[in-house]
Amino acid sequence: MKIITGFFSLIGNLSCFGLRALAAVFVPPYEWQYFVLQIEAIGWQSLPLISAAGLALGVVMTLHTRSSLVSFGAGAWAPNLQSQSFFNELGPLVSGLLVAGRAGAGIGAELANMRVTEQIDALEVLSFDSFRLLCVTRILACIIVLPLLTVFMDFAGLLGGFFSEYMISRMSFQHYVASAFSSLGWANFIPPTLKTCVFGFIIGTVSCYFGYTTNEGSDGVRRAATNSVVLSSLLIILSDVVLVKLIFFFFPGDAM
Amino acid sequence: MIAQFAVEFKHITKSFSDRKVLIDVSFGVAEGEALCIMGRSGIGKSVTLKLMIGLLKPDSGQVCIDSEDITPLPEKELSRVRRNIGFLFQSAALFDSFTVGDNLAMPLKRFDKSKSPSEIEQAVNETLRAVGLEKDKDKLPVELSGGMRKRAGLARALVLNPKLLLVDEPSSGLDRITAGEIDDLLLRVKTERNTTLVIVTHDVRCVRRVADQVAVLDKGHLASLGTLDELESSENLVVRELTSESAK
Repeated sequence: MKIITGFFSLIGNLSCFGLRALAAVFVPPYEWQYFVLQIEAIGWQSLPLISAAGLALGVVMTLHTRSSLVSFGAGAWAPNLQSQSFFNELGPLVSGLLVAGRAGAGIGAELANMRVTEQIDALEVLSFDSFRLLCVTRILACIIVLPLLTVFMDFAGLLGGFFSEYMISRMSFQHYVASAFSSLGWANFIPPTLKTCVFGFIIGTVSCYFGYTTNEGSDGVRRAATNSVVLSSLLIILSDVVLVKLIFFFFPGDAM
Repeated sequence: MIAQFAVEFKHITKSFSDRKVLIDVSFGVAEGEALCIMGRSGIGKSVTLKLMIGLLKPDSGQVCIDSEDITPLPEKELSRVRRNIGFLFQSAALFDSFTVGDNLAMPLKRFDKSKSPSEIEQAVNETLRAVGLEKDKDKLPVELSGGMRKRAGLARALVLNPKLLLVDEPSSGLDRITAGEIDDLLLRVKTERNTTLVIVTHDVRCVRRVADQVAVLDKGHLASLGTLDELESSENLVVRELTSESAK
């Protein structure tokens, strides 16, 4: 019983925390300087990981799917399957999970460390709104960079797929690209990419919540980092189910 | 004539969950005076400082800064009050990702928006020189020793020329010589700038050098308030133990 009430209490606190951050986005003053720093820390610094992961995943995906497609006489569909997989699902989901692992843990640990070493109190003493400065900027940065990173992941995946395909069938780049985008519509690209804004909101809110509200010394720092990654990842996967359903509802062509 | 208190506690009670940390505590610190707060660990000394600057709100009672009750003030109003208060945290609480110079420039940029970059730099340099860190302006906090961090924290607390300086455990984690240097700095702040000091400490040597008054907290209550000499001969065993230099 205690676990259940604890769970709902956590979800309630998280929701209030996230809504408070969203409300603060529309009220000045804006901390532009710190916001840009977060874009750099969460977005730019995640780019190598996202690109490398996308490339590797693209290679592996083609290796796995191509043989099955060939056995059905549909080898030419490999680029198309690759683009559908990446743009619709793999790119958004894997980007979300990777950013949750890299940036989420970092945000949780950094804020918890600031809390433990009284840096957050010091900000308040200096009349900074610590919530606005530390949490709102990070949550907003997560919301904005996630779709951009997803685009990089999508194209890195396609590039990996092309390398793999080229090694096997010597397919030209032009042919691969034409085939990959032959049946890909905007509805396969825009809604799945934009759904990662929700993933970004989840990562930012969960990580900031655990980091900002910790009060347990060095153990709190460890717990904040771990909880940030675990809960962010879980919520991303669960919310993905709902978001995919919503996309199918609003863009029925995608469900075919 | 009634003395003007720079900071005054009026019947303050503060509890966390079921634990009452402060019970009906009242005292005042006159302008330009130094009050040291002593007590056993976890007795509520740091909580007292955080109440003074509005980081915590009391359950009941009033915290008055320059005769103004700050307990009902919203954050915006608190910001005005905090403009005149410096706070040296136990861990110095320097911002890890900023250099020492940037740590000092931050409050100046926040409170003194009329100041030009060159004026800010000048104020930072002057304050760092006052604490002997003029050569360490571009260092990150992680590159500083414990004593240097304390001095940098003190510099940040002083950069706005506060009328009231709150200091949490200035000598914790420092050797006797470095702790003595920090005491010297606090004494200079008090005498040269006429800044009111409230210092939480266990260090009787610091108390002897800096304090005009000593307050001892015990079991949530103000057990004693007076000069160190008065408290050393107190009938209260805890007060005597805490204020006795031989006990250290």
